[in-house]
Amino acid sequence: MTQAFDPWLTLDELCRAAGVAPEWLTERVQGGLIEAQGKEAATWRFDALIVRRVRSMREIESGYGAAPELAALVADLEDEVARLRRRLALFG
Amino acid sequence: VDFKDYYGVLGLPREASAEEVKKAYRKLARKYHPDVSKERDAAARMAEVNEAHAVLGDAERRAAYDAVGQRWQQGGAPPPDWDAGFEFQGRGDAHGGFGGFESHGEYSDFFEQLFGRTGAWRQHGRTSRGAAHGGAGPGHAARGADHHAKIVLDLEQALAGSLTEISLRVPQRDATGHPTLAERRLEVRIPAGVRPGQMIRLAGQGEAGIGGAAAGDLFLEVHIRPHPRFAIDGTDLVAELPVAPWEAALGGVVPVVMPDGKELKVRVPAGAQSGRVLSVRGKGLPGAAAGVAPGDLQLKVRVVLPSGLDPRARKLYEAMAEQLDDFDARKVARAEAERGEGGER
Repeated sequence: MTQAFDPWLTLDELCRAAGVAPEWLTERVQGGLIEAQGKEAATWRFDALIVRRVRSMREIESGYGAAPELAALVADLEDEVARLRRRLALFG
Repeated sequence: VDFKDYYGVLGLPREASAEEVKKAYRKLARKYHPDVSKERDAAARMAEVNEAHAVLGDAERRAAYDAVGQRWQQGGAPPPDWDAGFEFQGRGDAHGGFGGFESHGEYSDFFEQLFGRTGAWRQHGRTSRGAAHGGAGPGHAARGADHHAKIVLDLEQALAGSLTEISLRVPQRDATGHPTLAERRLEVRIPAGVRPGQMIRLAGQGEAGIGGAAAGDLFLEVHIRPHPRFAIDGTDLVAELPVAPWEAALGGVVPVVMPDGKELKVRVPAGAQSGRVLSVRGKGLPGAAAGVAPGDLQLKVRVVLPSGLDPRARKLYEAMAEQLDDFDARKVARAEAERGEGGER
């Protein structure tokens, strides 16, 4: 049987994929740290690309007792370092 | 399966407090974070540190690990039922870890045997699902656990989409109730435009539900194999564009062979220097969903000089040296840098 997929995740699906509680995620969406499409939590949709960033934020918060804003900043910096390294590997 | 000494990894005694575990983890994470560490095996050490912290930093997992470790070390070898009494469950929270960007879900066999691929566990009798193996009560229903796995695609598959058969190791229990890993094949339609790190959720492809409840989902994390000429940057496709000196100086139309083998004609403007980035709109990754714009193709110009060992080229270089004797490459480059024209544009 062939399986197709939806590139968007609901709040519940993202929570399960990233191992976070709905309250944790809701707080960070409302704080502008995680981007969601839609106005109400019930209709929020998340780009399936965001799972890695959410996991990273969770690890930085729990591992370092970091404030959510700092964890989001570090996760963004990790993404940027990874992006620059990919370019460096290609262009030297 | 080799026993993992997580206390040894973090350099801690077995009686270390939760605070000491946290401190040791932070110290080692800073030492081995692959983005900052100078150690050659930093990524592997960071993965070990993350795994140790995922166990010792979680009170429930630590208790399970301590129980197993005590029996293992007393006998000097794994007891026959060392991993019995634990049940797999999709909690999804053991993937990754700080600095473990490239090792999401890459935990040791020891960890996976004890805690499952998703790193979550429950002891029999502690939860309603634990009761399922001892005989669930009538009317009991529970949604199946989610499963997590990695799928590795070629760049061509990500660009064009594909129908891919994947093979998964799925945790199951054998006749004696011990967890084992069984192979399962699944055909997945990969849409064009899928990107590295994207999570593909296959509804109902996780663990079967109990008592008529829904099955869990299967989450596949997309990885793209490195391509020798192209890289993905967001939705853009990035590559180098080698050009001859006269193509760069005079401008012209040059061919670019795309990953699918098709040729794209690209106009190089006159005076293009090495490092200049040319964008071709809409020729990057296709939009993965309706309404998502495709990315661009970004080509970084690299002027490739004919070898001075070739007598024809040598003659031309000598003529240029003679006739362009007021050309100072250092001066030109300095002026460009001052105007902010150096490097990528």
